[in-house]
Amino acid sequence: MPTLTINGLNVDVPQGTTILNAAKEVGVEIPHYCYHPKLSIAGNCRMCLVEVEKFPKLQTACSTVVTDGMVVRTETEKVRKAVTGVLELMLIHHPIDCPICDQAGECGLQNYYMKFGLHKSRYALEEKVHKKKVQDIGGQIVLDAERCILCSRCVRFLDEVTGTRELSFFDRGDHSEISIFPGRPLANNYTGNLADICPVGALTSKDFRFKCRVWFLKAFDSICTGCSKGCNVDAHFKGDILYRLKPRWNDAVNQAWMCDFGRLTYKAMNEARLLTPFVREEGARKVAAWGSLLPEVAFRLKAAADKGGPDRVAVIASPQSSNEELYLLRRIATSLLGAGNLAFTPRVAGDGFADDFLIQADKNPNSRGAQLLGIPGGAAFDALIARIAAGGIDALLVFGNVVGALSEEETASLLAKVPFVVQVGTNEGPVSKAATAVLPSASVAERGGTFTNHAGRVQRFRLGFPPRGKAKNPLEILLSLGNRLGAGWTFAGEASVFRALAETEAPFAGMSYESIGIFGQGIRE
Amino acid sequence: METVLTTHFFDERYRRMDTYRQYGGYAALKKAFAMDPGQIIDEVKKANLRGRGGAGFPAGVKWGFLPKDLSRPRVLVINADEGEPGTFKDRVIMTRGPHLLIEGIVISCFALRAHACWIYIRGEFVREARIVDEAVAEAYAAGFLGKNIMGSGFDLDVTVHRGAGAYICGEETSLINSLEGKRGWPRLKPPFPASVGAFGLPTIVNNVETIADIPWIVTHGGETFAALGVEKNGGTRLIGVSGAVNRPGVYELSAGVNLKEIIYHHAGGIKDGKELKAVIPGGSSTPVLRPDEIDVSYDIESMAKIGTMAGSGGVIVIPEGTCMVRSLSVLMNFYAHESCGQCTPCREGTGWLKKIVGRIEAGKGREGDVELILDLCDNMMGRTICPLADAAAMPAQSFIWKFREEFNRHIGEQKCPYGNRF
Amino acid sequence: MSVAFSETGRAEFERLLTRYPDRKAVILPALHLAQKEFGYVSDEAIAYIAGLVGTSPAEIEGVATFYTMYNRKPVGKYHVQICRNISCSLLGAEHLIAHVEMKLGVKPGETTPDGKFTLSLAECLGSCGTAPVMQVNDDYHENLTVESIDRILDQLP
Repeated sequence: MPTLTINGLNVDVPQGTTILNAAKEVGVEIPHYCYHPKLSIAGNCRMCLVEVEKFPKLQTACSTVVTDGMVVRTETEKVRKAVTGVLELMLIHHPIDCPICDQAGECGLQNYYMKFGLHKSRYALEEKVHKKKVQDIGGQIVLDAERCILCSRCVRFLDEVTGTRELSFFDRGDHSEISIFPGRPLANNYTGNLADICPVGALTSKDFRFKCRVWFLKAFDSICTGCSKGCNVDAHFKGDILYRLKPRWNDAVNQAWMCDFGRLTYKAMNEARLLTPFVREEGARKVAAWGSLLPEVAFRLKAAADKGGPDRVAVIASPQSSNEELYLLRRIATSLLGAGNLAFTPRVAGDGFADDFLIQADKNPNSRGAQLLGIPGGAAFDALIARIAAGGIDALLVFGNVVGALSEEETASLLAKVPFVVQVGTNEGPVSKAATAVLPSASVAERGGTFTNHAGRVQRFRLGFPPRGKAKNPLEILLSLGNRLGAGWTFAGEASVFRALAETEAPFAGMSYESIGIFGQGIRE
Repeated sequence: METVLTTHFFDERYRRMDTYRQYGGYAALKKAFAMDPGQIIDEVKKANLRGRGGAGFPAGVKWGFLPKDLSRPRVLVINADEGEPGTFKDRVIMTRGPHLLIEGIVISCFALRAHACWIYIRGEFVREARIVDEAVAEAYAAGFLGKNIMGSGFDLDVTVHRGAGAYICGEETSLINSLEGKRGWPRLKPPFPASVGAFGLPTIVNNVETIADIPWIVTHGGETFAALGVEKNGGTRLIGVSGAVNRPGVYELSAGVNLKEIIYHHAGGIKDGKELKAVIPGGSSTPVLRPDEIDVSYDIESMAKIGTMAGSGGVIVIPEGTCMVRSLSVLMNFYAHESCGQCTPCREGTGWLKKIVGRIEAGKGREGDVELILDLCDNMMGRTICPLADAAAMPAQSFIWKFREEFNRHIGEQKCPYGNRF
Repeated sequence: MSVAFSETGRAEFERLLTRYPDRKAVILPALHLAQKEFGYVSDEAIAYIAGLVGTSPAEIEGVATFYTMYNRKPVGKYHVQICRNISCSLLGAEHLIAHVEMKLGVKPGETTPDGKFTLSLAECLGSCGTAPVMQVNDDYHENLTVESIDRILDQLP
């Protein structure tokens, strides 16, 4: 392990570590743009120049590997002048777009200018080189070539990560410009990442454009619910509205990336939500109060089981529920209601597209969890649907907004065969239009819990803000229902439910929220 | 004086295989095959052969950078991208004596144990590329290229690869990228081409003239070659003299010839009876010299000692009455045009230099512009991936240091005292 | 509207592939070939070469626009490129350029209305010893004077 001395601090680093990464270990921040840990080293921005003893010229920290005994200084006058010099040169053609640029507040140029620049421009406005602005280049991206600092991160991403190479530099010198080939826009499922990696406002998100200044946003850790990959995300919100999802670093799952479809899953948490409990009376919706509706639901379910037998009660679980929620639901269904008719399906409407990178065919975040927690799927689900269609069910508890891949008409005609249908769901859809009672539940942003991804990795998602409107945390709904059915549960929240789950469910044995941490933990196979 | 390269250039037929052989061509190759590759490299080291492209790196030392283990095939790439303004000697070698280059390639590849060579020739040299192509075809036909050359068991393939108009491709890593079909962006070093070069293989890049010297070195020995020059700069050089001289052209002279002698004796002195005003000694990227500075040996060390470079051997002679600001403006336009754009200081710096100097020449210079140029040069030099930024900054600095008055006049009088012309 | 190499062009392309260990190394020669066969490097030529080599048109465009010799727009029958670098300037290139501008009635970058001449300024062409120098299509013309330039241009069919 070579030892590096940087600004007087000693640090041992693994063989092959660069000065830039070694510096991070001891909290020394070396400014840089073109370097990205998941892309090849470019060394072209020249911001990370540092003094290395025995080298006559300044060296780029991003590309210089630490050798034993190396001595580096990053805060000398020489380095300071170099960094300021590079920054000045980077800014001479940069348009003064800050007031209208989405990147403001999270912009590499702004940040380093405040730290290393603070100079007055020596360059005449009328001599600036102009390039094409505001281009829709396909995917989720808007390109403003004039703002580009030519760090080449986007070119490297499209070459090394997606292999699609839609962007390249054209021309040379200070007329070099990032562009797509005319008529060949971005055509891959990961375009959103370009806005993340672009240090400035050259590549920005179409969806997020002009929606909110970033300094008004707060963030929380979550998991994307778009498919069973479980990409780790940072969810950004203001008040109780989500504005965007960005990938959160996790080398075991999604590295630094997420797919375009997943990025837009936040919209469903904002739009067409079920926010008030209601019942359907004579074909019309009638608002109900939690205080009276929950006891009624519990009563009706119990009554149906008592009268016609447990076989006349069915529970459809959702692979969108957390491990904790599925665990409680299973216990309610099997022990408390004695219902043998418990099933789930990962099937959704759509084409089930998958690729060899992040996108999984299963478009639910927790099918694996449902399966590991003993909730039957596959043939059991089909059999359950058949029973319902044959009129064999008197009371049905449905979690989720849809029933598998059934259309609105199919759902309506299926649920019409059941006298009492209670839904615990988040959004308007086929089920809310046909259910007898609707219990609005919290979205993934409004509660905490864990999902198990396709590879058996258990990951935590956290609460961002309290449930909107009158929606409730489904865990609360389940605890309330369970206790009204005689469960006697005293769980305080999802952490304690998980502790119980880990004690009895073999795949989760020995796990805890502590052991899951921020990067997740694999189940016992 | 003994000549190494140009001895038979007077004969137009020398470019043909039959005439080349009549004058003794390919005898050196025969001798080389009887030697050990290590011996050949030793001779090149003894020859003190400094790279003739402009950087002057000792060829024998560069050859020694190839890895000892032969598991990965190594290749030789010839830099025939001759683009440094004031340099035009490789063109002469390729048109008058292409077989010197080819024989040099075969010997060098044998010494380096390389079995593939690409000759990267600048795109504008259409006729020259054709001539070299014909010579390569002749060599294949005569069995000096291809399989089992001269029954030695040594195989070698040579391909002529044309560039397409980019000065930066004269930089060895940019050349390699261009050869690979990419934009001519230089690469970060390390790794050096000798470990990771063309197509990921260990690569040696050498200038045309450097390799053309090899057959003579093999025939006469490294020490004999070295003795033609001076202590650390062996052999002869092809020196191109251009600008306002009576006899512009390429002269083969000792590496230690006197610069004043080059201009006044060999090139016949200044045209039209004028006085000398300035000399750019080694291609446009080298710091300019005043007339009182040119009485100096042209070898690499002596030139470095007086703060300039022998560079690519291109002596540009500037006569009295020339506007130095205008001259600098021409050069700044050049570097801005040729900057590849990869790294910030060069991409933006060369463009800015062009604008400032252009402004001064147009009579629109501002107070502080000269200081700004010098500060800019300071921010560019030594900060970039390749030396193009230095190549732009060195003329800018030296012109200002040595002809400051002219810049001050342009700015003070808000016009060009020479009437906006040369 | 797509383009394709002629039979000889295609044969040359295939031959080129055998001279390099990596397919992409033929990009520069292929672009020269395309310019020869199609007159200039059009959008269609770019897409065509991208297909032949197996990469994106953006990558080929990036290469084509980096180098000055690939014309992305059509040029006149004769592309007149006059060097304006230091040695040629010292020997009167500026004057020659002004003369040609007047003679042809175009500025650098422009083409004469009859499509015969496109005028460009070139950087150092590597023949400084015979300055001033210009390149017309593939040919160098050296030791230029106003008279010799007139003669050369007037004699072009």
